[in-house]
Amino acid sequence: MTNSEAKGAYGPKDAPEPSAIEAPRFSCALGGALGTAVGIYGVVPILHSGAGCGIGQLFGQLYAGGQNAGGPQGGTSTPCSSLVEHHVVFGGEEKLRDLIRASTELMEGEIYAVINGCVPSLIGDDLNAVAKEFRGKNDIFFVRSAGFAGNSYEGYELFFEGLIEDLLKPAEEIRPKTVNVFGIVPYQHVFWKGDARTIKNLLAEIGITANVFLAEFDGAAQLLEIPAAEYNIVLSTWNGHRTARLLEERFGTPYLTFPSVPVGPKQTAEFLRRVAKVFDISEEIVERVIAREEQRVYRFIEYGGDAHMLVRPHPFFAIAADSGTAIGISRFLINELGYLPDIVQITDDPPEEVRAEIVKWLTQDLETPLTPEVVFETDAHLIRQNLKGRPFLFLFASSLEAPIALAEWGALPITVAFPALNRLILNRTYAGFDGALTLFEEIISSFVGPL
Amino acid sequence: MTKIRSVAIYGKGGIGKSTTTSNLSAALADMGKRVIQIGCDPKSDSTNNLRGGRSIPTVLDAIRSGKVVEIEDIVYEGFGGVLCIEAGGPEPGVGCAGRGIIAAIELLRQKKVFEEYRPDVVLYDVLGDVVCGGFSVPIREGVAEQVYTVTSADFMAIYAANNLFKGIQKYASSGGALFSGIIANSVTLPIQREIIDDFASRTSTTIAEYVPRSDTITRSELLGQTAIEYDPDSEQADVYRSLARTLLQNEEKYVPKPLEAAELKVWAESWSDRLLTKKNDARSTSGSRNIASTST
Repeated sequence: MTNSEAKGAYGPKDAPEPSAIEAPRFSCALGGALGTAVGIYGVVPILHSGAGCGIGQLFGQLYAGGQNAGGPQGGTSTPCSSLVEHHVVFGGEEKLRDLIRASTELMEGEIYAVINGCVPSLIGDDLNAVAKEFRGKNDIFFVRSAGFAGNSYEGYELFFEGLIEDLLKPAEEIRPKTVNVFGIVPYQHVFWKGDARTIKNLLAEIGITANVFLAEFDGAAQLLEIPAAEYNIVLSTWNGHRTARLLEERFGTPYLTFPSVPVGPKQTAEFLRRVAKVFDISEEIVERVIAREEQRVYRFIEYGGDAHMLVRPHPFFAIAADSGTAIGISRFLINELGYLPDIVQITDDPPEEVRAEIVKWLTQDLETPLTPEVVFETDAHLIRQNLKGRPFLFLFASSLEAPIALAEWGALPITVAFPALNRLILNRTYAGFDGALTLFEEIISSFVGPL
Repeated sequence: MTKIRSVAIYGKGGIGKSTTTSNLSAALADMGKRVIQIGCDPKSDSTNNLRGGRSIPTVLDAIRSGKVVEIEDIVYEGFGGVLCIEAGGPEPGVGCAGRGIIAAIELLRQKKVFEEYRPDVVLYDVLGDVVCGGFSVPIREGVAEQVYTVTSADFMAIYAANNLFKGIQKYASSGGALFSGIIANSVTLPIQREIIDDFASRTSTTIAEYVPRSDTITRSELLGQTAIEYDPDSEQADVYRSLARTLLQNEEKYVPKPLEAAELKVWAESWSDRLLTKKNDARSTSGSRNIASTST
């Protein structure tokens, strides 16, 4: 593990603090909480914040997360208390009370999430008390997401913490072979919709029902059933861990963790085998699914084999992405396509204590004699500096790097991480067996042709 | 228009800031000066003793009403023509009083209150400690130019004064107000004076005036008046007149040197040791007489 080597790029002055960045790769805690609420159908976000917070997230979180519009509950339709100075001085509780009343009457939804911004957090509005007044009539909870509480990833945890704290009660009965899936952060993990759906379908193949919440029409109902799950599955080295720990503490639900959403047959097979073992699902069932999918996917990959082997065999690649995306893609490229790792820059600012584990997943058990350099960096300028003078031919990064990748580094860019402003992402995903095909298609399509 | 003398007066709650400020305003008005007194405290009772004990609608009340605020909604005349303004604040326990002070002062600027009334002196009577950015607004650039603090020999009041010094130090380099002196209040016993003098010397500050405790104040305030109005010939009225003259002439402006928390503690302990020694000496010579009390 190294820190960014390019600190000197800022000249004689010290490099800015890690959090003081331009061109950020995440939004604030409110952004993450709002993204999560909008990502789960049936949840109505109610922003208690300045008016700019909501519109800022539409541009900064939703558009940047694969050019996604806000939908009926997000974007410019988001209920917002639009606080002004008057509320700062005299308190905003009354305004929130009115807003909740109106929103629960006018906005169709099953669960209402009051998402707190910086202003009420600073002035100390007792929003929990206000939200509570409506709890008799509606499922409503309060997300303690002062924007300054952290970044979007923090907002994801705060969303679930608020839900657990305010709404979830121990289940009367645990439903066997049911799991909740955490760790996919909507919009931050730009393929969140496809990822969630793929995980759900994969688990269904081995007889497990998964509440993945995201982009599910019964997502809100799934949220309320969280305590009834037999297990929680966390698909990240750090996102969703706090939520899973809290659920274990509250409801005694054990959890299983994976370093990322599995990408391609090897990771997916490993994912299924581990889950099956925990649930005591017969090896025969699991291996049958794996064999069938592997056969199909590997046969399909062969169609791209000539372009792959004749034009760009064993190229070096670089990554600048969040830790989960980086781990999933990197291990697939190395272990399944024979690509050579050059540098991996982790851009989601994971906590110190998980960094060694992230490095381990990026550097160990690789089917290559090479080890990538791993750098934790959130600063767009330093990320760019760190990519200079390297042999990589493909760059898996964000739309911040894409436009300059060819000219500056001689590499073909593929946007796989936040911000992804240069591509519309609907159901695309690299997760699962088929994810290998999707990613492979994109890589090969980036250089074949034009005629 | 001659230059306005803008002065902020800080000090721990209950230490006598409003008493001092309104007596100063009254004394200055008595001397023919045009004075604006601005209470910067959500309690909004800074100017009561200039108006027969009656409170006035506050700037934040005017803002809260949602109507267009006119100068006459927020400026009220008190004793000797002193113009009284109360910034006001939210209900206790709600909202942000600090932001309230900021909003009120911004409104006074927007409404060009000072241009309209052309005062000789503006006195800001500011709540206790410099608890947050809002309460430090009067000492930032472009508001008050000189700061005084009212303190007694009580340790907590001195602690608040020391915090104010820290606030001044912070803003001094960016054009904020500078310190002009300590107003030593409720100083009756020699030891109280010694304590405040010692604190001043440790923090490289000066004493603007020693104000003794006085029954005149108690009586005048029961009637909602200043000593200047209630008993213009009293000794206490003279003390405030003297302070008013000092304030008009005092060109001293400097950055105080606040004590660090640990230093302040050691300093306070050294005084408590001395007080205890004195107490024991006094006991042995005059029985139970307690000369060491410094509480106000």
